[in-house]
Amino acid sequence: MRKIILYLLLIVAFLGFLAKPAYAVVKTSPTASPSASPTFEPTPLPTPVPDLTQKTQETLGPLEKLLEEQKLGPVWPSNPLKHAIRGAVETGVPANTIVLLLLLPLVATIIAAARHLVGLRGFGIFLPAALSVVFVATRPVVGIGLFLIIVTVSTLTRMLLRRLKIKLQYLPRMALILWIVSLSVLGVLFAAPVIRHPDLTNVSIFPILIMALLAEDFIRVQLGKSIKTAINLTTETLILALVSYFFLTLKVVQEFALLNPEWYLLGLLGFDYILGKYVGLRILEIWRFRKLIKA
Amino acid sequence: MKASLILGLNARTQLFTYRYNSLQGKKIADSKLQTARVLGKTEVTLPKIYKKFKNPEDIEKFDWESLPNSFAVKPSRGLGGEGIIVVKKKIKDGEGWITTQRERVTVDDLKFHVLDILEGAFSMRNEPDVAFIQEYVGRHKAFKKYAYRGTPDIRIIVFNKVPVMAMLRLPTKESGGRANLHQGAVGVGIDIATGITTKAIWHGEQIVYKPGTGKKLRGIKIPNWTLILETAVKAQIASGMGYLGVDIVLHPEKGPMVLELNAQPGLQIQLANMGGLKKRLERVEDLEVRDAEHGVKIAKALFAARFADRVKAEEGIKTVGVWEEVKILGADKKKHTIKAKIDTGAWKTSIDRDMARQLGILDKSNVLWTKIYKSALGKEVRKVVSLTFYLAGTRVSTIANVANRSYLRTPLIIGRKDLKGFLVKAE
Repeated sequence: MRKIILYLLLIVAFLGFLAKPAYAVVKTSPTASPSASPTFEPTPLPTPVPDLTQKTQETLGPLEKLLEEQKLGPVWPSNPLKHAIRGAVETGVPANTIVLLLLLPLVATIIAAARHLVGLRGFGIFLPAALSVVFVATRPVVGIGLFLIIVTVSTLTRMLLRRLKIKLQYLPRMALILWIVSLSVLGVLFAAPVIRHPDLTNVSIFPILIMALLAEDFIRVQLGKSIKTAINLTTETLILALVSYFFLTLKVVQEFALLNPEWYLLGLLGFDYILGKYVGLRILEIWRFRKLIKA
Repeated sequence: MKASLILGLNARTQLFTYRYNSLQGKKIADSKLQTARVLGKTEVTLPKIYKKFKNPEDIEKFDWESLPNSFAVKPSRGLGGEGIIVVKKKIKDGEGWITTQRERVTVDDLKFHVLDILEGAFSMRNEPDVAFIQEYVGRHKAFKKYAYRGTPDIRIIVFNKVPVMAMLRLPTKESGGRANLHQGAVGVGIDIATGITTKAIWHGEQIVYKPGTGKKLRGIKIPNWTLILETAVKAQIASGMGYLGVDIVLHPEKGPMVLELNAQPGLQIQLANMGGLKKRLERVEDLEVRDAEHGVKIAKALFAARFADRVKAEEGIKTVGVWEEVKILGADKKKHTIKAKIDTGAWKTSIDRDMARQLGILDKSNVLWTKIYKSALGKEVRKVVSLTFYLAGTRVSTIANVANRSYLRTPLIIGRKDLKGFLVKAE
């Protein structure tokens, strides 16, 4: 339970953090220097600069513009959230944050559906969700790269400890593994001048922290089960996170959630409920029992 | 087979474990020590527990030399057979023991292992756990040829006091002495009626021989089968859970012992038996079952494997006419010859009430349940009994409903359900 709360806090903290680069980028952006203040209307920045690192600014502008263009009816019965969103954005809450928050239940639903309809397990629901948000921040390439480094390093450490017959109690052993994980991520950051990947230099602490915690889960599964199971679960987690990332960044979905929050949220609610009542076979189970079905 | 007859994870959780298993029951099943405490009050036998370790101090206080030559160290809430060390014998001139995996362990190794268990290295969510030392249960001689360095166990799924499906789990070289299918043990399906193995799976694939050998896995007769089934049902009743997987080991001398309970038994058992669990569970869901003996009787009548395919292969298909002389096994264990009609228009076999009473198969102990039948004649409450008869020399064990047939030509009709492997000549 504590862990879940921790993840939630991390996600919330992270969402807050996501909003910041919008300002940061505005400051460093050479084209926007005349209007550096973030409280200004975004209208002076509609011409997007095709620079990948300025992604947040790119999505921020159009979303707010969309909100501006939307014509709103009376508040009740069908527009209360639309008015609330409009109000919040006008007082300075970034539309980006609102969209990500709105999309979080979608990500959770996708992960739940992947488990109950398809049969992909992954590490629970919070890890893939957190990882997908990490991917939004770091871009998938860097995210997966970091993730694989962390997982490989922790596995190698575990195997090495076993080979050398260094017997440590569980918590000190975990601490030692996290020590090595932290060092290796630091190593990657130290290598930034050589690698010179812009996404890498922009990496913040939250994605790394989430991934380091994921490494702990990975090792825990390894302890309990076989390496094969651990690799399977990790692969499934990655797939889930990538699919979630895809939906998180999909323009159509973002815009729909922002412009029709009532229908969107009600739809998810209904789908979640139906999903919880589904008792049929999962797709992977149909494959698992295919010989039985044929017989 | 229809996909809807197979039990998937969604259905297992929502239709069975959620509905029939209490939180209290799950707690008992998750902890081997709790299981031992609850089952210890019943007539079910369990391997003895020599010592429990709750705090690290217990480890130092304990006289390790007092242990017998063979025993098992286990975490109370371990998952998937992890964290278990089984030692088989003491090293004669030296310190320590030899494990079933032929490794040496010293007292220090065991102490360290127990500490790990207490820290929660093998428990769910790494919560602190309790370790214990348990009596070693060796292999029964019936399994000696089939298990690799470990004790095989029998997983029985019990639902509503009826043993629904069973599987023999054989440790392999790969599984390291453990009987868990996920770790590479072999699962062998068992015919509920006879205790004879039918099919086998390894890593989800059908196999005929034990991996690496030429030993057939089909046709193993499990000793004390009825007692094993009854033990499983008694454990389920005592646990207070409706849907349960019971793991039973066969002690060479002391007979069946309950090793552990599982509130969410795996689904692979369906592949080992090539049968759908959901169908069987739904079949027994609403039955009124009196006790363990009654439940086992129902199971044997309902879930007997049809060896029709094998019979076909070995004896050829038998041809029967519409009117046949049939030998019925009475309560006196003697065969009584009566006339029967082979009725392909009926699904179930039906026997005359007076005839059934005469043969002693209408005794309370033989009645499985009563059911309302709808027929051309309207609604009628009929008793359903277990029945064994010989048709054209082939033994058929089945269920039959009891009806008043005194005004009909034969006291027995045999329905399609029991005619697999026969051809009916319509003359």
